Amino acid sequence: MIARSLILCLFITGLVGLTTRRNLVKKAYALSIMNSAVVLLFVLEGSGIGDKAPLLGGSPGVFVDPVPQALMLTAIVVGVCVSALALTIAYRLHRIYGTLDADELKRLVGHE
Amino acid sequence: MNDAELALVPIFLPLVGAAMALVAKSLSEGRASRILETSGAVVGLALPWAALAGLLPAVMAGGVSFTVSGWAPAIGIAERFDGLAWLVDALGFAGAGAAYLYSRGNGPKGPVFTAIFLVQTSALAATASTADLFNLFVCLEVLGLSSYVLVASSQKPGAFLAAFSYLTVSSAAMVFFLIGLFGLYRLTGSLSYEGIEAGLSALADGGGATASLSSACIVAAIAIRVAVMPVYGWLPDAHAMAPHAVSAVLSGVLIKTPLFALGRLLGFLPTGHQAMALVGTAGVVTALVAVIVALSQKDAKRLLAYHSISQVGYIVAAWGLGTAEGLNAAYMHALFHALFKGLLFLSVGTVTDAAGNRNVYTLRNATAALRLSGDRRLTVAAAYAVGALSICAIPPFNGFASKNAIAYLFKGGWEYWALFAAGVCTIASFMKLSMIYLPPRRPVAGPDEATAETQIAVAAYRISLSMKTAMLALALLCIATGLFYGKLNGFAATLLGTAPKVGAGTLYGSSELAKTGISLVLGAALFLFAVSKPGKAAAALVRSRPRSYAGLVLAFVSGLAALGARLVLFP
Repeated sequence: MIARSLILCLFITGLVGLTTRRNLVKKAYALSIMNSAVVLLFVLEGSGIGDKAPLLGGSPGVFVDPVPQALMLTAIVVGVCVSALALTIAYRLHRIYGTLDADELKRLVGHE
Repeated sequence: MNDAELALVPIFLPLVGAAMALVAKSLSEGRASRILETSGAVVGLALPWAALAGLLPAVMAGGVSFTVSGWAPAIGIAERFDGLAWLVDALGFAGAGAAYLYSRGNGPKGPVFTAIFLVQTSALAATASTADLFNLFVCLEVLGLSSYVLVASSQKPGAFLAAFSYLTVSSAAMVFFLIGLFGLYRLTGSLSYEGIEAGLSALADGGGATASLSSACIVAAIAIRVAVMPVYGWLPDAHAMAPHAVSAVLSGVLIKTPLFALGRLLGFLPTGHQAMALVGTAGVVTALVAVIVALSQKDAKRLLAYHSISQVGYIVAAWGLGTAEGLNAAYMHALFHALFKGLLFLSVGTVTDAAGNRNVYTLRNATAALRLSGDRRLTVAAAYAVGALSICAIPPFNGFASKNAIAYLFKGGWEYWALFAAGVCTIASFMKLSMIYLPPRRPVAGPDEATAETQIAVAAYRISLSMKTAMLALALLCIATGLFYGKLNGFAATLLGTAPKVGAGTLYGSSELAKTGISLVLGAALFLFAVSKPGKAAAALVRSRPRSYAGLVLAFVSGLAALGARLVLFP
């Protein structure tokens, strides 16, 4: 239960950070934190069944469910791509305007 | 090659093309590199049509279900290539092909753009035929990542900021998608749609609140991609700031594919029908509200972007009925919208570039600008006219048939009148946009024209043959699909396993034509109000409404909460 509550805290930290922080880099990290929380959730639940490595022909016993781990490997890869792209865009914006503040950028760009 | 292998070809060919484009980048710039890049585009965008033609018999016979590489169903990736997948693929390759042709003339150019464009096309095809929840996640993420890059590829600072908002919001939504996926996997131990359905029906209460909340998370995450109210806020910036060719694909194809993929999934979930109905109602509201906002815009491309939201509202409304007829009508409008909105983005983008001004209130005499840029026969203006008449549902253009087919489904309900009002606003706002072709009122330049930089850019701007070809092809398709609506609709209905309910005869009945006439009169009246002083003040008020990033996230969370509450409390 404690583990789950901590994961929930982590998730909410990310969501709040994404919503309220104005710095683009902080937003990118907040997104990454949210993603990590879900990855942890999958791995935690997947390990609940057993603790043996799921190898064909391996030692008998109760295996960890391998599917969530396989999924999370993919999700982590996707998450890295998203973070890299977000940071790249933030960097380009900083090079043009010299600021990372979302509100300031919005004013400078002149979006309606 | 059997059907199951052939069904993967439309996904793999664009990837092969993308690889060829990347190899072209590694070569030194020159003829060989250009030839390789172009052949990559041909492999990725033209060859899949051959595969689709080869798949047609199997699709007519009911479609193919298989797992990729023949893995056991429990661990393999389930795919389903049926009539819907075929139709969505056809929509995607038509829209992407025309837009790519246009980009050859107007940019963005270069092997990297080609590669990313093809990756996006591949993801579109993959999204259309997947029947596995995690595969859907991956497809949507690849689709998203490539589109963020494409939006930013216009190199305008505004485009970077738009891409950033789009990226963070839709990635955050995908985290919720994963949570929903987790819930369903935990209940059923399966990721394929069929496995999930079987697992849930084996449970005593059909999964109960957990299943409902998980479905809500998935639906809300995809609704962001489709840009339904209230989660549409990212779209106008992204679509207005992207390069014209990319705007055409984003509006024409990219916002609809996830919708049809979601429809496939919801067919397997116990609360799927309720979720569809709720999203469909949101679609009707979207159709009306977005078009009112569109009417108040002054940036030409932003106006078009809001129209995309509104038109998708029509599609979602018909889709939300959850019937085969509804799906049929939704698909036909999605296809026609891809054609006419693609055409509008390309032609309006060309005109505003040629004139160096995107402000609907100050840009006048656009035909002169077109002539100066090398379009002596005014092909672009004619193409624009076809697109505008199509979206305004004027017979015999294609929008008339598809919009009336949707309206027909709602006859007698409040939705009918909401969509009618949306149609009136559409007419008014395209009258407003068409003002850019009027002769100049006064010979002085407007306040936001004529910096030295834009003057140089305007003087150098040339409308190339490939740009005209792309627009002409789309314009001809808009007319042809309008004239042969009956046949085309019958074909789509057969593929979707239903009988065409509304014949072309009903659509061209006297009451429908009278309705069009009334819409035109009301639209003209609304247009006159919109360009009057109080109308302009009201428009400025709508434009200045607060729009913040936090608001967008809040809209998502509240939408998710509403959907979750609906599904849990009234299953």
